[in-house]
Amino acid sequence: MTALAPALPRQRVGGRVVAGAFGVCAVVAAVAASSFTAQESVPGIPMPGPVVSIGLPVVRVLLDVAAVAVVGLSLLPKLLGFNRPERTEPVLLRVRPLAVMAAWAWAICALLTIVFQTAELNPGRVPTFGLIADYVGSVGTGQGLLFSAACALAAAGIGLMAVRFGEKVPAELRIIVALFGLLPIPVTGHAVNSVWHDPIMISMEIHVMGAAAWTGGLVATAAFLAPHRDLLAVVLPKFSRMASVCLLLVALSGLVTGLGTMALTPGVTLPDAILTSHYGLLVVVKTALVALIVPLAAHIRFRLLPAVRRGRATAMAGWAVAEVSVMGLAYGVAVAITRASIA
Amino acid sequence: MRRLLTVLLLALAAVGVLHSPAQAHNVLIGSDPQDGATLTASPAQVTLVFDQAVRQGYAQVGVTGADGSAWADGSAVVAAERVSVKVKPLPAGGSYTVGYRILSADGHPVTGKISFSLAASASGVAAADAAQGAGAEAAEAAANGGAGMAVVWIVAALLVLGAGTAVALRRAAPARTAGAAGTGAAGTGAAGTGAAGTAGTGAAGTGAAGGTVPEAVSGGASGSASEAAGEGSRS
Repeated sequence: MTALAPALPRQRVGGRVVAGAFGVCAVVAAVAASSFTAQESVPGIPMPGPVVSIGLPVVRVLLDVAAVAVVGLSLLPKLLGFNRPERTEPVLLRVRPLAVMAAWAWAICALLTIVFQTAELNPGRVPTFGLIADYVGSVGTGQGLLFSAACALAAAGIGLMAVRFGEKVPAELRIIVALFGLLPIPVTGHAVNSVWHDPIMISMEIHVMGAAAWTGGLVATAAFLAPHRDLLAVVLPKFSRMASVCLLLVALSGLVTGLGTMALTPGVTLPDAILTSHYGLLVVVKTALVALIVPLAAHIRFRLLPAVRRGRATAMAGWAVAEVSVMGLAYGVAVAITRASIA
Repeated sequence: MRRLLTVLLLALAAVGVLHSPAQAHNVLIGSDPQDGATLTASPAQVTLVFDQAVRQGYAQVGVTGADGSAWADGSAVVAAERVSVKVKPLPAGGSYTVGYRILSADGHPVTGKISFSLAASASGVAAADAAQGAGAEAAEAAANGGAGMAVVWIVAALLVLGAGTAVALRRAAPARTAGAAGTGAAGTGAAGTGAAGTAGTGAAGTGAAGGTVPEAVSGGASGSASEAAGEGSRS
C-alpha cells in the first residue's frame, strides 16, 4: 500500500477534472439548449415559472449524468478483467462505493424529474402528492421514470453486494441492470404514430445504451486508470474496440431516429424542417458534436493507444477531458431534443 | 461478452413487443375557426383538431382579445383528438388569439396559438357544432394505455431481475467452494494460520478486508487464493 500512496492525490485530481468536465458541460448545454427551444408563451395560457423551466432540464440531465456514471463504473470491472486482483482491487475498492452513490443519485434524480414534470403541467401550483400520483397514473413518461428509478435502486442494491462481496457479484449483472434502467428513458422522449414506431423505438434504445456505455466507459477509464499505466495498457485497447462499435451504433441510430421522427410527423417536410424546426436544428448540433468527437477519439485510438499499449506515459487524460467535454455537451443537447417541438 | 449481447438483444426485443404504438407527439392539423380566418359571426366555440387523441385532464385553451381580455367561457373539453372551449359573444371588428397548451400523447406539453378576426359588420352567434361522437372516450382510453403498461413493465423487470439473480447465484456457488479451498490452502501453507486466513478471505471476497491487510502479509498467500477464486467465479 505504501508504494501506491504518492500516486493517489494526483490521480484524484485527474479523475475529478474528467468527471467535472463531463458534468459541467452537460448541465450548461442542457440549460442553454432548453432555453433556446423553450415554447413561447401564448396569450391566455399560464406557463410554468423559471424554477421549473430551468430546474427541469438540470434535474433531467443530472439523471443522465448519474446513469452514465453507473454504467461506466459497472463496465470498469469487466474491462479490467479478473486475472490480476492484486493490481485491480485497489482501484475497484474506490469504484464500487462510487457506483452505489451514483445509482442513488440516479434514482433521486428520476423521482425529482417526475415532481418537476408534474409542476410543469400544473403551472402556478406546488405539486402535491395527489397531483404527482395523477401524473404517474396517467402519463407514460411518469411510469417510465418510476421504472428507471426502481432499476437504479436495484443497481444500488447489487452495487452494495459488490462492495461487500467484491467481484463474486458478476460484473455482467451490474452492467445489465444499469443498462436496463436506461430502457424506459426513450419513452420520455418523442415518438411517432406510424408502423415505423417500433423500429424507431429500438433505434432509440440502441442510441441511449450505446451512448451510455461509450461515455461512461471513457469517463471511468480516464478518471480512474489514467495514472495506472499498466492497467491502462490492458483496459484502453478493450475499451477502444467497444467505443468504435458504440460510435457507429450511436451515430447511425441517432440519424435514423432524428430523421425518421421528423419524416413521420404530419406537417413536416424534411429538407426544410432540418433548419426551420427546433428539433431539426438540435439534430444538426448533435451531428456536429459527433463529428467533433471523431477526431478526438481517433487521436486517442491511433496516436496514443500504441504508446499506452507499451506502457509509456501519454497525454491520454488531457485528450479524454476534451472528448468527455464534447460528450457532455451532446448529453445536454439530448435533454432539450427529447422535448423540442418537431414541427 | 457474447452472453451480455444476447441479454441486451432479448431486452430490446422485449421493449419492441411491449410498446403500445399510440404514443406520439401531437401536432395541430386543423381548427374551427381556421387560423387567420375572418368570421362574419361570433363563434359559439373554438375547436382545435390534433393528429391524434389528446390526453384528458391537462388541456388548457384561452381566447384572448387584442387588448388582453379573456373571452373563453369555462374550461377546455377534450374529445379524442378535438379540444374545444366555449366562447362568450365576441365584439365585432376585433382580432382574437386562441392559445392552447395540451398534454401530448407522448407526455409532453405542447403549446401554440392560432388567431382569427371578426369582421366589423359581424353580428349574432354562429350555431354550435353537433356534439362529438361517443367513441371519443374509448379512443382516449386506448391512447393512454392505462395502468396495464406499468404492470407489464414491473413484471418484466421482476422476471429479468429474478433470472439475473438465479444466474448470479449459480455463478457464485463454485466461487464460494473455490474460495473456501483457497483459504484452507493458504492456512496450511503459511505459518501464522489466523493472519493468512484473513488475507485469503479478504482478497477472495470482501475486498474491504483486503485493503486493511498489510501488503507484506497478503502478497503471496492472498495472490494465489484470490486467483483461485477468480478462476472459480469466471468458469
